[in-house]
Amino acid sequence: MAKIIIDNEAFECRDGISVLQAALDVGKQVPHYCYHPGLSVVASCRLCLMEMKMPHPKTREMGWAPKLMPSCQTPVRDGMEVRFNTEKVEDNQKNCMEFFLLNHPLDCPVCDQAGECHLQDYSFEHGRSESRMVDQKTKNPKKDIGPDTLLYSDRCVLCTRCVRFTEEITGTSELGLVNRGSRAEIDVFPGVPLDNPLQGNVVDLCPVGCLLDKNFLFKRRVWELEGADSICPGCATGCAIRVDHADEKVYRLKPRFNPGVNDWWMCDEGRFGYEYVHDAKRVTTPVVRRGKDPHTPVWHEVAEICRFRLTEHVREHGAASVVAVLSPFMSCEEAWLLARFVREVAPESALVMGPVPIEGEPQRFPTGVGEADAKFTILSEKCPNRRGIEMILEAAGGEVLSFETFVERAGAGDFSGAWIAGGYPKPWVEKNVGKLAAKFSLLVVQDLFENELTTAAAVVLPARAWVEREGCFVNAGGKVQPFNRAIRSAGGGWHDGQYLHAVAGFDGLYNVGRVRELMAATMPAFENVQSAPLKPAHAH
Amino acid sequence: MIRDEDIIEIREPTLSATERLYLPQILGGMKTTLLHMLRNLLGGEARTVEYPEQKRDLRVANYRGVHRLNRDEQGRVACVSCFMCATACPADCIHIEGAESPWEDREKYPVKFDIDELRCIYCGMCEEACPVDAIELTPHYDLVGRSRQEMILGKEELLSIFDETKAIKPRKNPRITGYLNTGDRDKPGGCDAGGCDSGGCDTGAPSA
Repeated sequence: MAKIIIDNEAFECRDGISVLQAALDVGKQVPHYCYHPGLSVVASCRLCLMEMKMPHPKTREMGWAPKLMPSCQTPVRDGMEVRFNTEKVEDNQKNCMEFFLLNHPLDCPVCDQAGECHLQDYSFEHGRSESRMVDQKTKNPKKDIGPDTLLYSDRCVLCTRCVRFTEEITGTSELGLVNRGSRAEIDVFPGVPLDNPLQGNVVDLCPVGCLLDKNFLFKRRVWELEGADSICPGCATGCAIRVDHADEKVYRLKPRFNPGVNDWWMCDEGRFGYEYVHDAKRVTTPVVRRGKDPHTPVWHEVAEICRFRLTEHVREHGAASVVAVLSPFMSCEEAWLLARFVREVAPESALVMGPVPIEGEPQRFPTGVGEADAKFTILSEKCPNRRGIEMILEAAGGEVLSFETFVERAGAGDFSGAWIAGGYPKPWVEKNVGKLAAKFSLLVVQDLFENELTTAAAVVLPARAWVEREGCFVNAGGKVQPFNRAIRSAGGGWHDGQYLHAVAGFDGLYNVGRVRELMAATMPAFENVQSAPLKPAHAH
Repeated sequence: MIRDEDIIEIREPTLSATERLYLPQILGGMKTTLLHMLRNLLGGEARTVEYPEQKRDLRVANYRGVHRLNRDEQGRVACVSCFMCATACPADCIHIEGAESPWEDREKYPVKFDIDELRCIYCGMCEEACPVDAIELTPHYDLVGRSRQEMILGKEELLSIFDETKAIKPRKNPRITGYLNTGDRDKPGGCDAGGCDSGGCDTGAPSA
């Protein structure tokens, strides 16, 4: 731990970080554009300049150096003394801001970044209230640089974060800085659009409204959005994300800082992979079929119906005829509640790990590196919670089957009662699985969309998308990560956790914390589950 | 948590004998009414008008009636769909849907612009908030409709109110539309369309 003095106050800070990082860590508001803790340092924006004490070249006496130093590029040293609160430093910030805004079109009313723009923030804190520019502003063009991203070069501050991201994190180097001086602009190379699986991050990295997401363009002003801390269910990496929503609709997903998992980034597949949430074809109401006529029960009856039908089935056919399939899209709490209920009603029942979707090979970034050097990995296992379900199955004990064995044995007629949890965003019921529906005299299905199983099931329960539920997922590295609910269930009504809580025989409101406490009695991994740092205090 | 020191006990004041009569208070409250009555009885000037045959003279410039959406010089909707009015609106009665504009000089325009005139409290905050002076309140106040749906005015209706009222209340300050045309704006002396006396300003956006 190095001890340094910032603005006459002594602080202890981590070794090997920059002074800017140390100042930001202790809560100093130092403006900066080009510095990002996940990228290399270029010290090009000159906003973070500081005064530093240095030995006089002749007398070796310590005194304030006459020139300002970039704090992002100066590593901390034990005993060093710096200051940001002087007129010199503030003058520099003010003058820098004036130059940043020389050619800025000031079109905040129509800019999507307005509200989370650091040009606005710093201009408000450090800038002047009017422009002294008398010459004509340089008007740089708006460019379509890729299938999902627009580049408004007139708003750019040339921090080159996006350029460094494509060089250092994705290793694809699509973006570059062309021309020099006042003509410099960010651009793609001719015929090479910005189209890599992580390109959405350049929009988050951009501190101003230069890089914008086409999917979010003009949809909402950012101050109308509310964020919910969540975990991306796209693959087993389990990136920490923020679900930005308004009026019960998800508008965009943004990565949250989650050291060791996704750091500051997320992939485009996850970022834009939430469309199914608002699909009109989703199952939204429970359906009960007894004889031919399906009817929709009120939510309060659902638990009782499920319990009664399964108990009745066990009485007629025996407990060993019952099987429950736990989906890797369920949260740990939901899977635990379902396993607990099934085992309570039918102690000899079999539990099955639902099919785990695998697509292609894991993609590692920067492109071409091995597993050890990867800065970001998109896994081929396209479900969020295989490990969590495995933990639940292990703790539940008894007969645990793989999905293949289940299909085989169910096909042979070993089971007559089944509870199948789906919740897969993509169609998952293959022909051999669909055919099984006829084998069960009692079939309860939880799913997002209609399929062969839901059309045949005695009870259909709507599975909810992850943004409508809460709980925790266990990622590929075995990290238990909680996610919160962002929006209300489509079509209203209860979400999976709520009805499974009632089905499992609990009274009152569904409280994930309490369920997790009960789980922790047998599975210590669920004790004290913590969310990733709320925000990367040092990265905007 | 509520702390003890945050609790303020308030007791009703005890009334004196005259206050308990209530008559002075009632007469005090009716003072204006009674004065008007006496003035009318003694042949003074009447303070009421025979609406709807007679109509009051309004201060056109700042009367806050039904909204209108202004048009720019080329007849296009002046709104740039920045949602400032919807953000400022305390009654939450403005609903806008923005899209990329079909015009070269404009980034964004409203495809939908609905104001629920029943929800509106006519506070004029939308007019204050608008950076391009596109939304204004007009001296129209006799707005009627047969259903709630009819009272939600859409973009076309709001534009037609502009066409009806521009004669009595011209658009306040039409300088800003086309502000992305950096070309002519930077002539010495300031803005392109005139009408603005503080030269050199750019937009209604936070300037620097």
